[in-house]
Amino acid sequence: MTGGVIDLRNVRVRAGRRTILVVDALSVPRGELVAVIGPNGAGKSTLLKTLVGFRRAAGDVRVLGQAVGDLKAGALARLRRGVGYVPQILAERSELPLTLREVVAIGRTGIAGLGRRLRWDDWQRVDAWLHRLGLAPLANQAYSDLSGGEQRKGLIAKAMVQNPEILLLDEPTANLDLAWRERIVETLETLFQELAVTMVLVCHDLEVIPACCGRLALVEDGAVRADGKPGEILTSDRMARLYGVDLEVLRRNGRYTVVPKGGEPT
Amino acid sequence: MTVELGFWAPVIAAGALAGASTGLLGVYIIGMRIPFLGVCVSHAALAGAVFGSLGGLTGQTLLVPALAAALATALALGLSNPRTLRADVNVMMGFLFTLTMGLAFLGIGLFPRFGRSAGEALALLWGSLTFCSWRDVALMVPLTAAEVAFVLLFYKEMRAIMFSREHAAAAGVRVALVWSGFLVLASAVLTVNFKIVGGLMIYSLMANPAAAAFQLVRGHGRALALAVTLGTVSGVGGFLIALLAELPTGAMIVILSSALVAVAALLAQANRALQAGRAA
Repeated sequence: MTGGVIDLRNVRVRAGRRTILVVDALSVPRGELVAVIGPNGAGKSTLLKTLVGFRRAAGDVRVLGQAVGDLKAGALARLRRGVGYVPQILAERSELPLTLREVVAIGRTGIAGLGRRLRWDDWQRVDAWLHRLGLAPLANQAYSDLSGGEQRKGLIAKAMVQNPEILLLDEPTANLDLAWRERIVETLETLFQELAVTMVLVCHDLEVIPACCGRLALVEDGAVRADGKPGEILTSDRMARLYGVDLEVLRRNGRYTVVPKGGEPT
Repeated sequence: MTVELGFWAPVIAAGALAGASTGLLGVYIIGMRIPFLGVCVSHAALAGAVFGSLGGLTGQTLLVPALAAALATALALGLSNPRTLRADVNVMMGFLFTLTMGLAFLGIGLFPRFGRSAGEALALLWGSLTFCSWRDVALMVPLTAAEVAFVLLFYKEMRAIMFSREHAAAAGVRVALVWSGFLVLASAVLTVNFKIVGGLMIYSLMANPAAAAFQLVRGHGRALALAVTLGTVSGVGGFLIALLAELPTGAMIVILSSALVAVAALLAQANRALQAGRAA
């Protein structure tokens, strides 16, 4: 299948002599939410980095119709302005003086143009997204003083102020407690349903896959091994084989969870 | 005293410019946790000046090889990809610092073969604020102006880069272009300041005003403004204290800027305790 906002064909990503990701074919149509799952080190984050040109790849990587590998620095920067990318690693520096509002405004920095000041409507957009994600009361607080969940939401706001055609999220709930995990999942569901933005969500916890997710890609040992509807991919046998533990996949209200098989709860 | 102040005017001007320009750089260098960039750049400049001297250059022309070496080092540090090299930027700085220092000492070791003294080599680069002239100030003014102009022009890009180069690049910021420009300017400002003002003072004026500002204010613009102010206060205040008390100038500037960090940390601590008390 081709003609999506993301198209990969015969893609190979190498780290030194080792091939760390192989994608024979993967296409994401506009307005779809695809969750990319797999064990740690499977190549999920590499896939996202390849899409935004942070990782060089052999083969054809097309994002919004452009061949990422062929783009020069300026063209690549322009492409990235249409793609909201939320990396897994948070910028953890306690001394950083930036406010949350300033961090969210980073999303408008490339779009405003090199050497030009952010305009009134850029800041309006920043404030609107802070308000929409319930972060307005924290706008002028130091980003470094916020909790991990608040920071993560701030980074989603930073990506959304770009008005992106594609939103790429790398483990957006990593290291968050249950309450914040659910807030983030709820935010993603709302964004997808209200804006129909194309989303690629990398996660290794099945619990964070939103109920509205209609497609799953399973990455294992540096290759996309399965791609289809969640119900088809998330079988107990496949999960047990993947993680080497006897597991059972349960579904409740459109969400998934995995529990060890056997034994009665105590 | 009026006559004395007039006599010391270029020194006061140089202290203010050094404090302001390095205080401004410090916001980004400390904000990005790469304080040893200054140490690396200065030793690279020293190596460049030493080999320039061995090549027959003298006086202000020595700034050319010093600047070239400083630039090469700063760009190697700033543009290298830690993932590709499998080395953190601090590891890279350790490598470059020792390499450039080794080269500088090698060059100094070769001085006697060329009929020169080692002290002559060190004097090429490690200046002293007390001996500043208007000619030195004239060199510092355009560089400081260029630095301020750069930060004003690329204010939002530098803010994004300070937060995270990866996040900035992901938002479509031309990180390599802007960061390279900053490194070029930083190298020039640091090299000239080392030559005119001296090493230890520059390290302290780069790190301390920014560290103090980060304790007291939030926001990119406020941090820049306060760091520049505290840098200027340290440069001028330290000199005036030294002049009045007949103490070493460089040491007083370093001690004053360090004291400002301690005071800022205490004020921040007191403010946090006050806010916690109000919340309770």
